[in-house]
Amino acid sequence: MRKILSLGLAAALLTTTLAGCGGDASETKQAESGATTAAAGGETTPAAQAPAAGGESVEITWWAFPTFAQDSADTPAGTYEAEIVAAFEAKNPDVKVKLETIDFTSGPEKITAAIEAGTVCDVLFDAPGRIISYAQNGKLVKLDDMFTDDYVKDVGNEALLNSCKSDDGSYYMYPISTAAFCMAVSKQALESADAMGCINLEGDRTWTTAQFEEMLQKLSAAGFNGATVYCSGQGGDQGIRAFVTNLYDSQVTNDQVTEYTLNDEGGIKAMTKIKEWVDAGYMLNGSAYNGGEDVDQFVAGNTAFTTLWSPGLASQRADTLAENGIEAIALPFPSEDGVPEMEYLVNGFCVFDTGDAARAEASKKFIDFICNDEEWGPKNVVRTSVFPVRQSMGDLYPGDAQMQFYASLTKYYSPYYNTIKGFAEMRTYWFPMLQAVLNGDSTPEDAVNDFVAKANQSIVNAQ
Amino acid sequence: MKQSKFNKIRMRETVISYAFLAPALFFFCVFVLVPMVMGVVTSLFRYNMKGMTFIGLDNYVNMFKDEVWQKSLVNTVILVLGSVPITVLFALFVAALTYEKNPITRSFFRCVFFLPVVTGTVAVTVVWKWIYDPLNGILNWLLKSMHVIEKNIMWTGDKKFALWAILIILITTSVGQPIILYIASLGNVPKDYVEAASVDGANDLQIFWKIKWPSLLPTTLYIVVITTINSFQCFSLIQLLTSGGPNYRTTTIMYYLYENAFKRFEYGYANAMGVVLALMIGLISFIQFKALGSDVEY
Repeated sequence: MRKILSLGLAAALLTTTLAGCGGDASETKQAESGATTAAAGGETTPAAQAPAAGGESVEITWWAFPTFAQDSADTPAGTYEAEIVAAFEAKNPDVKVKLETIDFTSGPEKITAAIEAGTVCDVLFDAPGRIISYAQNGKLVKLDDMFTDDYVKDVGNEALLNSCKSDDGSYYMYPISTAAFCMAVSKQALESADAMGCINLEGDRTWTTAQFEEMLQKLSAAGFNGATVYCSGQGGDQGIRAFVTNLYDSQVTNDQVTEYTLNDEGGIKAMTKIKEWVDAGYMLNGSAYNGGEDVDQFVAGNTAFTTLWSPGLASQRADTLAENGIEAIALPFPSEDGVPEMEYLVNGFCVFDTGDAARAEASKKFIDFICNDEEWGPKNVVRTSVFPVRQSMGDLYPGDAQMQFYASLTKYYSPYYNTIKGFAEMRTYWFPMLQAVLNGDSTPEDAVNDFVAKANQSIVNAQ
Repeated sequence: MKQSKFNKIRMRETVISYAFLAPALFFFCVFVLVPMVMGVVTSLFRYNMKGMTFIGLDNYVNMFKDEVWQKSLVNTVILVLGSVPITVLFALFVAALTYEKNPITRSFFRCVFFLPVVTGTVAVTVVWKWIYDPLNGILNWLLKSMHVIEKNIMWTGDKKFALWAILIILITTSVGQPIILYIASLGNVPKDYVEAASVDGANDLQIFWKIKWPSLLPTTLYIVVITTINSFQCFSLIQLLTSGGPNYRTTTIMYYLYENAFKRFEYGYANAMGVVLALMIGLISFIQFKALGSDVEY
């Protein structure tokens, strides 16, 4: 009897355990898709406003990197995003949005793991580098129907539109805002070093490599640390790449974005010069710092300038700069001819292909609301601290001279190479190359040639 | 008839035993065995986001030719060879000094050395990042104050120091558990034996080697095996502090595996590294069991 009881208990334990492992056997919603089209001028089409077929409620998941600014530094991540969701759900009761915030440190790994596990979100708010890589691997839903003629005309920037396309010519990212990456100097440090004359505060503030070198010498003579040539990891690597390429008019890739070309004369000369500056103490070997940490050193007043700056960073670090009594002057990167080529940020959304057409359509409707709603569209752009991709939104920062300067840099946009095949792999070769140069493991020429060879191989690997 | 009844009882007991084992076995199979088998199988494929193509042993061949993997292997072996003996000796030293102290002192030392273990790798690493900071780190400040160095050292970015900087953190996060285990183990050595040896004229060293050390062998075996495995799997320190730099000086096999899986999306290649790492750990653990386990008395 006791043994029968034991057997029964064991069976019950097993059954309970297995039952606990089971998930919700929710029905897959296969509602018919209705065309959702984003219209210029902040209006959504009737299709976008239509409820899901059959009146069923559709639930989608939104994974958001902390790109939208919160009300204050103390406000938890995701608070503003939750307000967007609430506003959207009030207008679209047939769609429920589940919000999950992810961070830039572990978020990319979480997305990769979720893609392979089949548990990825519906909507992701990110940038073209990763998004187009997912598109090239067939993980995303095409968004061509959202790029109406009016919308394309409203954006009016071919380079920016191309950054949202994969190599099959289809759009996979719906952009909301953009801005150039630039650099910033400390006004106090420059004044103390009598180096204000080295920079140009007129017009677009363009300047030359010779002026930059003179500034370095004056700062060093006055005892100030130059920026770190940060390269401890991938974080913020776009800034230091733009700094390198601008110094002697090199390019990361060719104009067609089909091949890496940093090992041209200008690229090698720039790396050689940077090594000289580090050895002379004008700039710091940044093998122990990534981009974010370089900015930390700048806003703390430990370095006189940084090569990673943007309107978003200026907004995020404004309080710390004020506490430390530093006025940051944003500048384009110096170049030999005084005409910079700027790398730029594009914020946008993509929709993962979960095999559920109803969820895909609901996701497009949600993206359309975030980017184009008359009330929330402009508000959301301002929360990214950069500029709208749609010209019809006009000047969202009237009277702000700083933002007008940042806006002026858009005319210097260079070919957008973050969508090149194998881009993610190329980034893993970039910072070891800089470390090899700065630590004397390789000559600048050998290191750059080796980098270009590996980077070009990454294009082949990704085919 | 009697035999048949006996067999029936045995069968029933066997079924009951397996029924009780079943939940644990189920989880073991689903979360350990199946992923392990999948890891081995997918290591034979070119497996990335696009899909899977069978390539036989190509991943393994490419891996052994890969210069970065070779550097990673050397770095990993240095970390293991550095951390395991130091951890064991330091833990034994601290335990020997503290196990006979009063309970409050003993608890204090246990707490001090166990704190990095329970604090969590990320928090510990952030603190070490501040300590090692080239411009504002306390280590540079301290060494400059003591006139040991003249210029700031970039501990995690300089090829001469980076791996040693990682090794120091690895040791500080590894010694906590061995100290606790050694203190407990030393406390269990029969005092009669020690007193008898002392009466017979044995000195402290003889008492340690002839009486205490044999009693500590099971604990030592456990500590050596666990520390070896943890050192082989050193990853989060590297990810949070150096990303494998400068120029692959601190890249370990685990970090390189992660880079291939999550930065380059080469899952098959990463799995091949995982298989080789598992085999290496298994082989070394086997050798350790053979070398240290033969004298172990339980």
